[in-house]
Amino acid sequence: MAWRDRGERVAAMVGKEFRQIFRDPRMARVIFVAPLIQLLVFGYAVSTDIWQTPTVVVDHDESLPSRELVDVLTASGYFRVVRQVERPADLVRALDHGDAVVGVEILPDFSTRLRDGTGATVQLLLDGTNSNTASVARSYAERIIRDYGLRAGPATAPAVDFRERPWFNASLSSRDYNVPAVVGALILLICLLLTSLAVVREAEIGTLEQLKVSPLTAGELIAGKTIPFALIGLVDLVVVTTVALAWFGVPFRGNLLMLLLASLLFLLSGLGLGLLISTVSKTQQEAFMTTFLVFQPAILLSGFMFPVSSMPAVFQWMTLLNPVRHYIEIVRAVFLKGVGLEALWPPSLALLLIGGSLLAFAAARFRQAARG
Amino acid sequence: MLNWMRLLAVARKEVTQLRRDARSLYLAFLLPALLVVLFGYAISWDVDNIRTAVLDQDQSARSRELLDAFRSSGYFTLTTRLERSADVDRLLDRGAVSIVLVIPPDFAEALDAGGTAQLQAIVDGSDANTATIALGYAGAIVQAYSARVRFQGSLAQLPIESRTRVWYNEELTSRNMIVPGLVAVIMMIIAAMLTSLTIAREWERGTMEQLAATPVSRAEVVLGKLLPYVAIGLIDVVVVSVIGVFLFGVPFRGSVFLLMVLSLAFIIGASGLGMFISAVARSQLLATQMAMIATFLPAFLLSGFMYAIDVMPAPLRALTYLIPARYFLVVTRGIFLKGVGADVLRVQGLLMIAFAIVGLAAATRVFRKEIA
Amino acid sequence: MTAAPGGPAVSADGLTKHFGDFVAVDQVSFEVRGGEIFGFLGPNGAGKTTTIKMLAGLARPTSGRGTVAGLDIMTDTRDIKRSIGYMSQLFSLYGDLTVDENVAFFTRLYGVARERRAARRDWVLEMAGLTEHRRRLTAELPLGWKQRLALGCAVLHEPPILFLDEPTSGVDPISRRTFWDLIYSLAEQGTTIFVTTHYMEEAEYCHRLALMNRGKLIALDTPTHLRTGMQEPILEVRVPDAPRAVEALTGAPGVIEAGMFGRALHVAVADVAEAEATLPARLAEHGVAVEGIEQITPSLEDVFVARVRAEGGAPVD
Repeated sequence: MAWRDRGERVAAMVGKEFRQIFRDPRMARVIFVAPLIQLLVFGYAVSTDIWQTPTVVVDHDESLPSRELVDVLTASGYFRVVRQVERPADLVRALDHGDAVVGVEILPDFSTRLRDGTGATVQLLLDGTNSNTASVARSYAERIIRDYGLRAGPATAPAVDFRERPWFNASLSSRDYNVPAVVGALILLICLLLTSLAVVREAEIGTLEQLKVSPLTAGELIAGKTIPFALIGLVDLVVVTTVALAWFGVPFRGNLLMLLLASLLFLLSGLGLGLLISTVSKTQQEAFMTTFLVFQPAILLSGFMFPVSSMPAVFQWMTLLNPVRHYIEIVRAVFLKGVGLEALWPPSLALLLIGGSLLAFAAARFRQAARG
Repeated sequence: MLNWMRLLAVARKEVTQLRRDARSLYLAFLLPALLVVLFGYAISWDVDNIRTAVLDQDQSARSRELLDAFRSSGYFTLTTRLERSADVDRLLDRGAVSIVLVIPPDFAEALDAGGTAQLQAIVDGSDANTATIALGYAGAIVQAYSARVRFQGSLAQLPIESRTRVWYNEELTSRNMIVPGLVAVIMMIIAAMLTSLTIAREWERGTMEQLAATPVSRAEVVLGKLLPYVAIGLIDVVVVSVIGVFLFGVPFRGSVFLLMVLSLAFIIGASGLGMFISAVARSQLLATQMAMIATFLPAFLLSGFMYAIDVMPAPLRALTYLIPARYFLVVTRGIFLKGVGADVLRVQGLLMIAFAIVGLAAATRVFRKEIA
Repeated sequence: MTAAPGGPAVSADGLTKHFGDFVAVDQVSFEVRGGEIFGFLGPNGAGKTTTIKMLAGLARPTSGRGTVAGLDIMTDTRDIKRSIGYMSQLFSLYGDLTVDENVAFFTRLYGVARERRAARRDWVLEMAGLTEHRRRLTAELPLGWKQRLALGCAVLHEPPILFLDEPTSGVDPISRRTFWDLIYSLAEQGTTIFVTTHYMEEAEYCHRLALMNRGKLIALDTPTHLRTGMQEPILEVRVPDAPRAVEALTGAPGVIEAGMFGRALHVAVADVAEAEATLPARLAEHGVAVEGIEQITPSLEDVFVARVRAEGGAPVD
């Protein structure tokens, strides 16, 4: 009987919450349109690939092989020759002005030395200001030049034949890696914002007090406030994942159930943090600011944009406390590797522990705040 | 025309309100410092200490020689030795290592017979960026080793040698790329999170009418409100630069004066934009949200701060031309890393000044309409 | 769940609440009988709202005891919440829900039995006079209507005790009158009503009245007894220039207190006959002509001022 009453009260809260959400036409936009736009912008903007990198060439040799080398570079698609210049000084100018990122200088004796096997030389100049573009461009350029040399030079087989086999993402496209992570970031943002704003709004307009004098317990209030946003989070998960698959053509090799399980565990953290933010914020404005303050470092230290393995050891340890890190690890593995719980139980367990304690802590603080 | 006493009275009031708001202070001073430390120390794209597993089926002096070459390069950390090829799957599935080197049983035999030995690198391609860079390093190491074996160490004997020089950011560290750009991002945070509140707050609290009833002029209010944020922005420029240069060794090769002048112009523009949004939104919550979308996110994602604009699809690339931070980033990176001066940055400099004028005009204009 | 028969509906015994160093409510004790309209009167900041919040389970007392419907306010807050209705000075229904939706929400929240819901809803809409506006968004209603709806939502579950914290603040006088009619009809049906107000004329409607100032209870009786129990007689003096007259009379011999009351003066005096004789002369000295002077029954405001004076302090305002 008592449990039926409880269920009734929580259902009343959830129903009321949904009514309010969908009464405001702006909310529908916030919930469904904004994540899609963010997915598109992030999906396209967050890319560490290089493509058509602006390149300037100084060809002192002007021979068939030298032209062939330039053709091979551009044919790869990674480089685009924006200008052929005469003097090395022009190459410097182009880099200074940011007109080109890569400079290729082919020395005068290129074709002769290539032919007689005395070793030809190509000078590569890179604008390192964008360290990532430069690293990747360098890696591609050196490989293309090496391969060309082996093909065009005297027929000497290399001592070691190096075979590369990229797994999980054969085309080495960063989009396949980043788009699944965007899903995680978006769900976190939705949970943090909606939960914290919804609770703080009630406090702001005074209805929270009205709820507190009713038989509704703090636990029921928390359930009533989090369940709608958990559901919305899941719907967003489906929408964003569908678009990611259909629009960006990201592979999905894993199990939907695994993704759902991980998302549910992750929602615990998102809702817990959202609730926690609501307990430290008096106005919706403050809640929004605090959300930003929490979201920003959580994303930067998640491995979404910057790999965890490149962080100093201390920070790598710290990221273990970051639920976003674990969720993104799972999402990427489910999308690209197609692995299941047998490989992903450690991050899943971490999500459960972090989410559970966050939610418990938030609920305790919320209860405390509810009593005057 | 301007009455300085009134202008300063408005500015002082603004500072007093800021001082009482812990969140705003945190955003204005602590977050910028935190971001520099994060980007300067904790997070990067720099690929080193690549976790590597080895399946050495040869166990010869030759294979050990090759592995030593990998180890001594500093990029690879050999963490695991595998016994069976079946273990490769498991290891990569769990994400325990990023690359597995497979040395076949006949490795030494083939090399010593003057033939071609095989080396296979299986790489976890899900992180395309790390994978590409790691493969680049591995290819170079194998090439050098190969040359050593075949030609007794003379690299010059290779068909083509790439001599790569990296300019501006010689070590290719992402820190050098990010820290100069942070100035722009932080300014946008201030514009989005602090400036966007000033006028909306006055409307919400009803103090705007009070202000309008005093002899204070429109320009005095706008400038008086702008002054504190411009000051905060300039302080942040100095703090970020000093921490970046002295603590993290980011190069500073250009003119301090030029940086300060153009930063000032950018800050005025950004704050003006923030105030414009504030006046339009009239509600603090709406203002921050709008400012977030209009200022911070584009500066973060579409300015080239982290991700190269070149690889974005055409519509997104077109959009970046409307984003002031894009041009400001050319300025800060040019001054920090390239050491270029006003001659190279002429266009960007003029755009900064135009941005400042547009920002101020927008703020003043919208404000007039609101009061009337 | 219900009060012990014959026991008080609400009782407070030494109820105290501190906020840091500030004592908001100081050793307040009283009892409210079942079915009565019990008023709490005092200026803003007197501690009325804090007292009501402690009784409704919204704030924990620093010390002291209290019961509501026979239940302990320290330990039985959950059960108390089922027995009370509460309406605060701040309008606190959901503006973005319709009248119907608000009512439906609170019926479910208070666990009104499914088969009774429709009847209760209709009764509330009827009572609040909102039957024709049930599909309108609550935010669009005039304040007076909103307050009636809020009252309706507070009594959906037919609570034996109703707490109303300045229910009519900001409402126009006509709506205020209608609102009090509703309170009376609820009381007639047996609901105990605990109401705070700072409108003196509203206080007259209460069966019994507690006067609060600076966190302390300074008087408790029926409005009539409070008035007749006042020791100093009150003279109403009609003058053309009231502020000047107050100045002239303050500190004059035989005058305990002089204050403006509407356009006239209320003067508490030690002896009526003597004052009636001396006051016109005193006022004339200061150039104020007296248009009329007579002894009146003290108003509640007079009582309040006198009680505060007796406690030796000025009212907070």
